[in-house]
Amino acid sequence: VNSAAIQAASLKGQRAQATVSHATLLRVFLRSLLLQASWNPQGMQNLGLAYALYPALKELYPEPEEQIAAVRRHLSFFNTHPYVAAAIVGGVLHHEERIARGEENTDRVLAFKAALMGPLAALGDGFFWLSLKPAVGAFCAALVPVLHAWAAVLFLVLYNVVHFTFRWRMFRIGLEKGDRLVEAIAKANLPRRGARLRALGAASGGALAAWLAIVFGQNEEAAWAPILAGGCLIVGAVSYWLVARRVSKYLVFYLAAALAIAAGAFL
Amino acid sequence: MVHWPHVALAGLWGGLLAVERRAFMQAMISRPLVAATGMGLLLDDVQSGLYVGMVLELFFLGGANLGAALPENDTLAATGASAAAAGLAGGMGLSTPATWSLAIISFVGLGQAGRLIDRQLERYSSRLAAKAVLEAEKGALSRAVRENLWGMWPVFVVFGLVTAACALLGSLLSPIVAGLPLRLARGLAWAYPAMACVAAAIAVRGSHARNSALYAGAAAAAVVVVVAALLASGRHL
Repeated sequence: VNSAAIQAASLKGQRAQATVSHATLLRVFLRSLLLQASWNPQGMQNLGLAYALYPALKELYPEPEEQIAAVRRHLSFFNTHPYVAAAIVGGVLHHEERIARGEENTDRVLAFKAALMGPLAALGDGFFWLSLKPAVGAFCAALVPVLHAWAAVLFLVLYNVVHFTFRWRMFRIGLEKGDRLVEAIAKANLPRRGARLRALGAASGGALAAWLAIVFGQNEEAAWAPILAGGCLIVGAVSYWLVARRVSKYLVFYLAAALAIAAGAFL
Repeated sequence: MVHWPHVALAGLWGGLLAVERRAFMQAMISRPLVAATGMGLLLDDVQSGLYVGMVLELFFLGGANLGAALPENDTLAATGASAAAAGLAGGMGLSTPATWSLAIISFVGLGQAGRLIDRQLERYSSRLAAKAVLEAEKGALSRAVRENLWGMWPVFVVFGLVTAACALLGSLLSPIVAGLPLRLARGLAWAYPAMACVAAAIAVRGSHARNSALYAGAAAAAVVVVVAALLASGRHL
């Protein structure tokens, strides 16, 4: 009886100080980069989330039954933007530490995930997939005639400075603030920054089209080259109009190619 | 002549980028501009990779992986087309806008094919997830969570093989392309700026910007003015 009491008291003491070590936090963050390795239509990122959290759950819950319960509660449906997921992973650890210390029950962590994954997915999709990625892509593609292969390097640097800084910061904010991470994300003002980036993407596309048409026209020696160069620009403008009217981009692309081949071959 | 080490390298790069695209990190190494330039670098033809990648970057710019929706597989189109372009150029001993055009026209459709493959591979991931739940219930937690990693290998193998096949096809087609009539080759060369302009227009739409036409038009006009001024001052571009 005494031994059992000592064990129980020791467990209680451990639980009162339950926190995840720095090394494990780093492991969780790195494993969260594999969040989508087994993305599936049923649970979506569930397996990835359980994989990322596992080292921390093992540390927080020494008892096998509690470990099983903890892993199982994170094998339920989960889906959000993969970068912003870092904030949720951090927030889940925040809650799991509190659960392990007996300061809250397991419903809180499930409610936290359910409440945040949708809105954060929308925020991440809007900023990263629909703003930063197209803007950096179009900007660096527009710089290919000037920077050549370095444009690809610039793409990686520009994008990933934002991407990894954001991902690590979100992880830390989630870990420190738990539910209050929403205020910190709101301060980042991502929608307004996204709108500026989208404008940069559009301008880069226009600039590149003009540059390519003129340079090709200038390098071709035939007398009709300026006409073909101007034709390329007109084809670009018409394509914009057609794609805006939901004509298949593949159809427009192949039509333009066929037209240019015919013009180049027979003029 | 087929250069087998290049075919193998193309497959390896294609497989790795397919994993990076969805399963690991998403640091955009798999974006067409980077993926195709990297392929060109590996196959000793940076120019082909770069110019194929530039057009495909613009063509696929607006695609996004939103929720459960699957976008076209821009990475497969880029690695496949650039591997084929390098194969064509390697066989002919010359990288030209005509070879870039031919590779793009022939392999841009891989974006759609890649989406179908992605959908099929999700079934395998579903089985892994179900297996992980069963293992967790039995208490085999390490094994359960490690199932996550097994989701990557079919992606690597399938997309790697398709990319290697593109590199092989490019090498095999190079003698035929070298024999094309000059007129057709000239037409193909002109298809490149035309496709680039169309891809740029698609990118402007894909930028999701409000007033995108206005921004694009203003930037194009500014470039025309600057270039005209440079040409008038006697500079060659």
